[in-house]
Amino acid sequence: MEYLLQLRNVVFQRDNFTLRVDTLDLQAGKRYLLTGPNGAGKSTLLQLLAQLLVPQQGELWFAGEPVTGPRQRRKLRHQITLVEQSPFLFNGTVYQNLAFGLRLRDVKGDLQRRRIERALAAVGLEDFESRHSDNLSGGEIQRVALARALVLRPRLLLLDEAGAGLDTEALPMFEQLVTDLSEKGVTVVLASHDQQQPRRLKATILPLCDGILAGPPGEKEDREDVPLPLKARA
Amino acid sequence: MGYLLESLGTALGMIIHLNGEVLGAVGVSLATSLTATVFSTVGGVPLGAAVGVGTFPGRRIVLTLLNTLMALPTVVVGLLLFGLFSRQGPLGVLGLLFTPWAMIAGQTVLATPIIANYTLSAVTGADPRILPTALTLGAGRLRGTWQLLREVRFGVMAAIVAGFGRVIAEVGVAMMLGGNIRGYTRTMTTAIALETSKGEFAFGLALGMVLLSVALVINLFLNLMQQR
Repeated sequence: MEYLLQLRNVVFQRDNFTLRVDTLDLQAGKRYLLTGPNGAGKSTLLQLLAQLLVPQQGELWFAGEPVTGPRQRRKLRHQITLVEQSPFLFNGTVYQNLAFGLRLRDVKGDLQRRRIERALAAVGLEDFESRHSDNLSGGEIQRVALARALVLRPRLLLLDEAGAGLDTEALPMFEQLVTDLSEKGVTVVLASHDQQQPRRLKATILPLCDGILAGPPGEKEDREDVPLPLKARA
Repeated sequence: MGYLLESLGTALGMIIHLNGEVLGAVGVSLATSLTATVFSTVGGVPLGAAVGVGTFPGRRIVLTLLNTLMALPTVVVGLLLFGLFSRQGPLGVLGLLFTPWAMIAGQTVLATPIIANYTLSAVTGADPRILPTALTLGAGRLRGTWQLLREVRFGVMAAIVAGFGRVIAEVGVAMMLGGNIRGYTRTMTTAIALETSKGEFAFGLALGMVLLSVALVINLFLNLMQQR
């Protein structure tokens, strides 16, 4: 069994909030659904997995290698991409937004253009290249942000309620995209409040409550009858 | 009243007929202030950005220091640099005193904290998602901060313009470090002070009008930036 990312005894503290993850093993090419009420720490955990936050305690391995130090975390961010709940698009065109990460990876010219076209097509925004980021709707921003992540071909894709801003037509496409990606070997972790999403995505549930990730997900994998352990608070 | 109107007429005539003395002072003012603004931008923008996005011990002290330096009296800067550049001073061998370079040094000291503080405000007031977005797309902290500065470029431009506004209008540094040498270190402000004291009110008024025009353009530009 190939593990992409493993966490052991991780503790992250900020202000009055503490996130604890005793054990988390994310397998390559699998789909995970992070559930829990508002304030449970889903976004914090995703930011931690995205190497945007550094835990005060604990160990982390990526593809079997321990992750230590800022340089390694930065290298890792070339393989992990997070799409935030409310994503930010840089001032500029959709194309410029998608090209940002590619330029950092030295992907230029025709190859850059082809990859951008393919990523935009994957989210159903074929003709959006020259659209300015200011002139997009909430759902379009969400899809551009998703395309901006897809174009980088990450090994680990983290989606923080990325489907929440999508309409009923775009949502099945988004979920199909997530399924296709994991079938191609990408590990996807999705935070969601949609109680039907685990069933539709056949994802492994990662239940989070008050900053504590409840145990390893191993036994619950792919079971359709597993209820969400935590209901979202109003 | 007649005296004022007559002086105003003479001053306007000097400006319209491109009086050499007036043009010389304007030229020195613009050259030194623009050069100092460039140096201050090179120092102040990265400093403001670093303090804005960074978390390090003593950050609060740096913030207080930057705020204090915003109100640095020009004559104090002039005095300190005079001590450095004077013949007996540690940098006396450079022979910079009473040259435009000494004025540029002083003006750079004046403008840097202003540009740093305004940049800091722009950075801390920016959308908090900018830097994490750049980082998650693979940028390092330096590249991420550069992206952040690009996003708040109007704020940064306003910072630079404010720094320029401070140095073009100052008189203490130019007087003490430049020495008000005609055609060499005589700026608009030092010329106004000197010529008015000599009774050349119209000449001072002409320069004052040019200086006000520069200030007006700066403020118009600042307003434009703020609206964007």
